[in-house]
Amino acid sequence: MTTSVVDRGAAARPAQTPRRAGRAASRPGRRRTVLAGWGFLAPFAILFAFCFLIPIGVSIYQSFFRGVASGGGLYGGGELVNQFVGFENYVHYATSSAFWAGMGRVFLFGIVQVPLMILSALGLALLLDSASVRRVAGFRLGYFLPYAVPGVVAALIWTYMYNPQFSPINQVLGLFGGHIDFFAPNIILWSMANMTTWTFTGYNMLIFLAALQSIPHELYEAARMEGASEWTIVWAIKVPLVRNAMLLAVLLSIIGTVQLFNEPTVLQAVNPWMGADYTPMMMAYNTMMGGLSPSGDGPASAISILMALIAGVLAVGYALLQKKAD
Amino acid sequence: MTTRYLRLGAVGIVAAVGLTACAGNTTTGSTPAESSAPAAEKVSLQYLHRLPDGEGMTKIADIVAKWNAEHPDIQVEATKFDGQAAEMVKKLENDVKADSAACLAQVGYAEVPSLYTKGLLEDVTAEAAKYTANFSEGAQGLMKVGDISVGLPQDTGPLVYYYNKAEFEKLGLDVPTTADELVATAAKAAEQGKYITAFQPDEAQYWLAAQSAAAGATWYTVENDAWKVNVTSEETAKVADTWQQMLDAKTTLVENRWGDGFKAALIDQSLIGTVGAAWEAPLLAGDMAGSDNEGQWAVTQLPMFATQQMTGPDGGSGVAVMKGCDHPAQAMEFNNWLNTQIDDLATQGLVVAAKGTVTTPESVSDFYGGQDVFAELAAANDTLNPAFGYMPTWPAIADPMAKAAAAAGDGSGKVADIFTAAQDASVSSLKDAGLPVA
Repeated sequence: MTTSVVDRGAAARPAQTPRRAGRAASRPGRRRTVLAGWGFLAPFAILFAFCFLIPIGVSIYQSFFRGVASGGGLYGGGELVNQFVGFENYVHYATSSAFWAGMGRVFLFGIVQVPLMILSALGLALLLDSASVRRVAGFRLGYFLPYAVPGVVAALIWTYMYNPQFSPINQVLGLFGGHIDFFAPNIILWSMANMTTWTFTGYNMLIFLAALQSIPHELYEAARMEGASEWTIVWAIKVPLVRNAMLLAVLLSIIGTVQLFNEPTVLQAVNPWMGADYTPMMMAYNTMMGGLSPSGDGPASAISILMALIAGVLAVGYALLQKKAD
Repeated sequence: MTTRYLRLGAVGIVAAVGLTACAGNTTTGSTPAESSAPAAEKVSLQYLHRLPDGEGMTKIADIVAKWNAEHPDIQVEATKFDGQAAEMVKKLENDVKADSAACLAQVGYAEVPSLYTKGLLEDVTAEAAKYTANFSEGAQGLMKVGDISVGLPQDTGPLVYYYNKAEFEKLGLDVPTTADELVATAAKAAEQGKYITAFQPDEAQYWLAAQSAAAGATWYTVENDAWKVNVTSEETAKVADTWQQMLDAKTTLVENRWGDGFKAALIDQSLIGTVGAAWEAPLLAGDMAGSDNEGQWAVTQLPMFATQQMTGPDGGSGVAVMKGCDHPAQAMEFNNWLNTQIDDLATQGLVVAAKGTVTTPESVSDFYGGQDVFAELAAANDTLNPAFGYMPTWPAIADPMAKAAAAAGDGSGKVADIFTAAQDASVSSLKDAGLPVA
């Protein structure tokens, strides 16, 4: 491939003197390629800087400040100044029971929900990948659809489904004399887990399906000729070959779990006992909005940086564990 | 105020801290700061509000268009903010920092001290003085921090008592006029399987504060130029005791105001009375539209928690002049005009703060059996406890209060704990903000 392109490039410049042709042609050529490369990279680089690097930088910077009243008097002179407080914000949250309680909730949530979701996603992907399923596109779209529903809308629908008075689920259970209080303090976390599983299983399934479909089918042929059953093909070929996809899916899920926000926020609106700091992300948001004290951008940034660090440690930890297992 | 319901501005994931830098400075239209025109020349002003602008209401844009037609020199552009009150405050905060804030913005009375402390509001005391004759004194006081005026009041939210008159008559119940009667009547109603009140954990902060004001409490006073927090006073204890009695006897329904259960209880008439803010009049009518309740309900004054007829503020808002506004005089001129468009504003479901008589919209009076609802609400307005004010970190006590209220509601805590939580959170949040506490 590559060589033929080079050849064609050389062939396109017959006017060059043969001796210096090689160098003279390649220098501006390479510079042009480099420039073109940067040109293609620019849109990404600019967006990446604006929406990723700069906000992170600003966040880190802000996390060392806290808005305090500058002047004296009851209203602080009507002006807040950003006061440098060093690591005070970090110390505050690193030693805050509310922050760790929130982290504990998402951790508990994650160790149950993530494996469940990943395994169901893998199961669905294997089913769709198996030859026995016709009209794969329809199923693929069907499973993926919940992810396309805006998170808040989905959370609202589920809030209705869980509602103590009108829950259609309970109406069906009621026929058999059953009843579940989906909003009970010891159940609500699993009610949310069900919501996120519903939303993201299809999404993760797509990752697995893409990985499965990139496996060369010759491998299956060979296995079959050796007398392998379809189950053996699944366990010995398909599953091992989607391990990298699984690593990706689990990492995304760990990060997503630490950032759990939509579901608890919507449920909290009708269950005020949950509190504005039920998850770390809610705590960061409500701290920024003034609903939790100390409030403002500085403390909120400190919470998000701590969240990022914890998510990072968990993600790296998982990646290393999986590497080791391999 | 009205839009405090449904906290679904939750699209706020976007606001996830880091992104503020990206999403922050979405300015609306031209920046008044840039146009350095002399005052006599044409001035253009931005006005940001979050009024409902619903079906059948006189649209804010149409009201403003009337002004624009009459005042070629002062052109106003109104923008509706869709989202929670707290999100609008955050937007204003970012806009003021970027020197691109709208000149006028709707702010809740309880948020005024907080916004002023953050340096977001302009001191327009001199301008406001020109219009004092047009507004009730109590409402003007809510647009002040100390002696400084920051804008003009628009609507108020005194607590009143809503009840199903037909059901009350059927059950032989008298409308309670005191807190003790409320407890006694609740017991009588409960014997017949009905509730005449609902205890609302999600509304705890404003709702219970307003009842405390009705009992004569003043939560925040000044002592030696420092805040004295007095949430757990005797007056407030009266409110706690009233609700505790009803909760203990199970004679009050425990439902969040904005949960589906509240609405369902209204519609099936198991809940036939509620202590609510004035702005709930059209909302309750809307909740029960098309049910048997139509035409059955009535509004009356809040049962007395003190020895005299008094009520407290639950919501309500005014229009403030934002920091950095280049034309505060013109802005206040429009502000005064806008807030005195009584009938137009009443269509938005507002209990207008301006003096004058208002005609109850037909849709509302029909639901309340032809009652002149707005006259009753205006009467409540006149008995607002004038001494009840808010502190600069008021938003930060909502969550501890709601949590404690939920516990009181399910019996794992006491109503008095809600006020203890408010007391503690008030003191600690003031200290966190670097403000003096006595």
